[in-house]
Amino acid sequence: MHLSRAWKSGIITSMQRNSSLTVELFFNPKHVGEATEPRFIGRSSSFQCGATLRVSLHIDESAQITEAKFKAAGCSVLVASASLLMDQVLGKTTGEAAAFGQQAEALKDKLGALPVERSGCPALVREALVSAIQEYSDMARDEWEGDEALICTCFGVSERRIENEIESGGLRTIMEVTKACNAGAGCRSCYSLIEDILEEVNREQ
Amino acid sequence: MIYLDNNATTRVAPEVFEAMQPYLNEVYGNPSSAHSLGQEMKAAVEHAREQVAALIGAADPGEIVFTSCGSESDNWAIGGFLEQNPTRRHIITTRVEHEAVRNLCEHLAEIGCEVTWLDVNEIGELNLDDLRRTLRRDTGIVSVMLANNETGVLFPMEEIGKIVRENSDAVFHVDGVQAVGKIPLDLKNSSVDLFALSGHKLHAPQGVGALYIRSGVKLPPFIIGGGQERGRRAGTSAVPNIVGLGAACELARTFEEHERIERLRNKLEDEILSAIPNARLNGTPDRSQRLPNTTNISFEYVEGENILLHLDKAGVCVSTGSACHSATKQSSPTLRAMNVPYTAAQGSIRFSLGRYNTEEEIDYTLKILPEIIGKLVEMSPYDKELRALTMRQL
Ligand code: FES
Repeated sequence: MHLSRAWKSGIITSMQRNSSLTVELFFNPKHVGEATEPRFIGRSSSFQCGATLRVSLHIDESAQITEAKFKAAGCSVLVASASLLMDQVLGKTTGEAAAFGQQAEALKDKLGALPVERSGCPALVREALVSAIQEYSDMARDEWEGDEALICTCFGVSERRIENEIESGGLRTIMEVTKACNAGAGCRSCYSLIEDILEEVNREQ
Repeated sequence: MIYLDNNATTRVAPEVFEAMQPYLNEVYGNPSSAHSLGQEMKAAVEHAREQVAALIGAADPGEIVFTSCGSESDNWAIGGFLEQNPTRRHIITTRVEHEAVRNLCEHLAEIGCEVTWLDVNEIGELNLDDLRRTLRRDTGIVSVMLANNETGVLFPMEEIGKIVRENSDAVFHVDGVQAVGKIPLDLKNSSVDLFALSGHKLHAPQGVGALYIRSGVKLPPFIIGGGQERGRRAGTSAVPNIVGLGAACELARTFEEHERIERLRNKLEDEILSAIPNARLNGTPDRSQRLPNTTNISFEYVEGENILLHLDKAGVCVSTGSACHSATKQSSPTLRAMNVPYTAAQGSIRFSLGRYNTEEEIDYTLKILPEIIGKLVEMSPYDKELRALTMRQL
């Protein structure tokens, strides 16, 4: 009964009217807390609304997310979005999860249309997720012991492969590289490296 | 539902409803009409005027003009003064006024008035020396609220009025909306020139307010038309609402349980502050300087809207100090003016009690609140800060 009353309350109506999922996830959020060590942390906050969020991930050797947790001080939509996104990325590889997190539309089907003033809330959650994955990617890149330097850890793309793609395809932009070999399609922590390679290869030519 | 949001609006009292009822069905007629039906309506309006005058201690019921709401009264007082005195464009007000005054003054500043905004300290008090310093011979109007709607902090109306009188020829307007019915008033023995009040804050229906205009203070009409309210505010009188406001004032004047409400408020405040480690009071701890029904508490490092929704689900209505307006959510200007850090302002909750609250309701609220806050604390990303807070208290 109270739930239906809460629906009518001004604030809850801003959590999408026809998504009882959102309301449920706000009142009983899932995946609250801290992933077990070693964990990768991503943070985000909004100067506009003052919300702060922390995502922590536990990732296994095959780059699969085995734990996705969050902590948040923010509005109901933020809490529900975080709960939902953690649910969605659990079990995914970091590459898949990051690629998902980069999509502006990522949670839209579940959250429905949000009022303008809350439209930034899901983005805040995606930002923290992606930044946690970036932390993982940077570490994984550093620790990589293969023969060829690894550039994009999200999708396992080596430096050699990227150079080849640039040379053979006459590529000029990161976007073209991503299209050709998937490098950069995830957390984008490899962007600056790809940029460097682009510059180098194109200078040589 | 447990309603702890009486500063937002109040429930229409059964006595008020009863007084209004005849004027919504069997008794009708235009109070401006000369026939007996009209005259009966007119008598009802005049009776209500006396009731309002009695509550606020006006010298003469003729000093009361009915309006549609508190905001109208405020707008009329300030805007009307400026219309009457177009050359006296210096206004003094405070940073913590209700929107009806704050936004109006911001607008007036945009169109060429000079507005001085008085600051408050971190417990919401004015520095009266600032007022002394900024008052000028050409200051037109000083507009100050009596009780802050968010924190309940009272401004020293008497002292302010005296300073205004002694140092200027300014008109002194008081936004009394939040104070009327909650604390005793005696305007005839004060230096208040204009005083705004609103019905729905004291158990009258929404849609009726009044402006007190001290005899001798000139104000052009707010609505020009058929000459109602002695030509000061035209438009057919909203008789049922006006009767409701009168009855509500009568009810407030004869209310004998102010102390009981205050005791409940004190209990709520004391126990929250002692039971919940991240709770801190907004506004002066000196309760004699606050409304007896209001307590504004910040739950640091958690989100006020979350608290509100959880309380709502549990059957308790409160309000937050921050609101998700249009594109940005901003903490309240009042809390910002008090320099409340934003991690505290974000989690501020206003509990405002009223005549219908019971001890059981307060006990229930006190029972459920720690668990709600605990849950949100667990969810808060500010773990370090929260740990430090708990440590400090041990
Ligand atoms: S490392 Fe994540 S997109 Fe390349």
